[in-house]
Amino acid sequence: MEIDGDVSNCSLILLKQGAEARVFESNFVGRRCIIKERFSKKYRHPSLDSKLTLKRLNAEARCMTKARRLGVQTPVLYAVDPLLHTLTFQFVEGTSVKDILLEFGQSGVVEECLGDISAQIGDAIGKLHDGGLIHGDLTTSNMLIQNGTNQLVLIDFGLSFTSTLPEDKAVDLYVLERALLSMHSSCGNVMDRILAAYRKSSKQWSSTMNKLAQVRQRGRKRTMVG
Amino acid sequence: MKVFEASNGNALSFALFTDVTNSKELLDSMRAGTLEPEAAFLNASLVPDVFPVLVAAHKALLSKSRDSLSSRTVHSELVYCYSGSKHISESLKRVGISESSNYVLAARFNASPEEMEAIRKLVKGTEVELEGLEAKADKAQIQKHYKIPGSELGISSLSDAISCRVAARDAL
Repeated sequence: MEIDGDVSNCSLILLKQGAEARVFESNFVGRRCIIKERFSKKYRHPSLDSKLTLKRLNAEARCMTKARRLGVQTPVLYAVDPLLHTLTFQFVEGTSVKDILLEFGQSGVVEECLGDISAQIGDAIGKLHDGGLIHGDLTTSNMLIQNGTNQLVLIDFGLSFTSTLPEDKAVDLYVLERALLSMHSSCGNVMDRILAAYRKSSKQWSSTMNKLAQVRQRGRKRTMVG
Repeated sequence: MKVFEASNGNALSFALFTDVTNSKELLDSMRAGTLEPEAAFLNASLVPDVFPVLVAAHKALLSKSRDSLSSRTVHSELVYCYSGSKHISESLKRVGISESSNYVLAARFNASPEEMEAIRKLVKGTEVELEGLEAKADKAQIQKHYKIPGSELGISSLSDAISCRVAARDAL
């Protein structure tokens, strides 16, 4: 789907393209912003396609605002366009945690920095989970550290959903664990620090941690029900 | 008076007034549709900063360009959008002016200097600088109206919290 005349006189610089959406950088009333456009999948039936895309768009907007209410830093939402299937939000100036950890992997770990980042990650996930929100795609490329404040900002709530089941929370943490193991094993055991911070910030950590042990054993999406 | 660039080449002009005495007249002429020039009047104690109003303006302009206004005019749409709620008349009452309002923010799209001068004559009050918005904003009222929990204030400004709610209203 192309962006039509509504934004044709704004600059649109394509930053990234994923399986579900394209991310552009642009300008919103004088502020730098990100426009995320969910494109339609041509192989789907058109009426189903537009319903699905709209549903996902609204879910993402809802989950982002819910995360903010729970005290987790996310980019500020500037606009939601149901016709063009776009979300416009604040451009966060900072580096992704993935890049920071890769840098550590190459040129050595800055202990204090790593400790701070892991603590913030564990704390943020704890708040989300206690509020019944599952991020769905916890990887280091979806976490940014803001320049200046060094605050953690979570992005990409496209796969988020609400759930209070320990299974879902455990899977959320497991996805992060696998991502860290595959990309950043040279940084030492980051997951342990994250889990320590998670334990401190979440009130329901014990059931989640038990489930996490189970999920580690058998892999995810194997509830063995039915 | 200050002019800001809203989306798509449109401009939004603001004027802030304290000690307003004729809110009832303004309300009556708005309801009768005789307000000339047409403008949006917001309860300025619910405005900590211009940015959320610009977010609402973007939404209002978009609705107008798609012929999908929920209220009568693009200016009343601006007030409706700023409330972050789906209930039209309640929104206009809460974030617009009431008969007892004395602190009012006037806004008009693509206003010429003459039109802004006319608005200044319409409103019987003292014009003040927009920079005073933050200090005079009623933070408790804003928190209550937009249902902003303490946990959110810890990570965000009131202005950002309002912007998110204004933007995401139809998705909620």
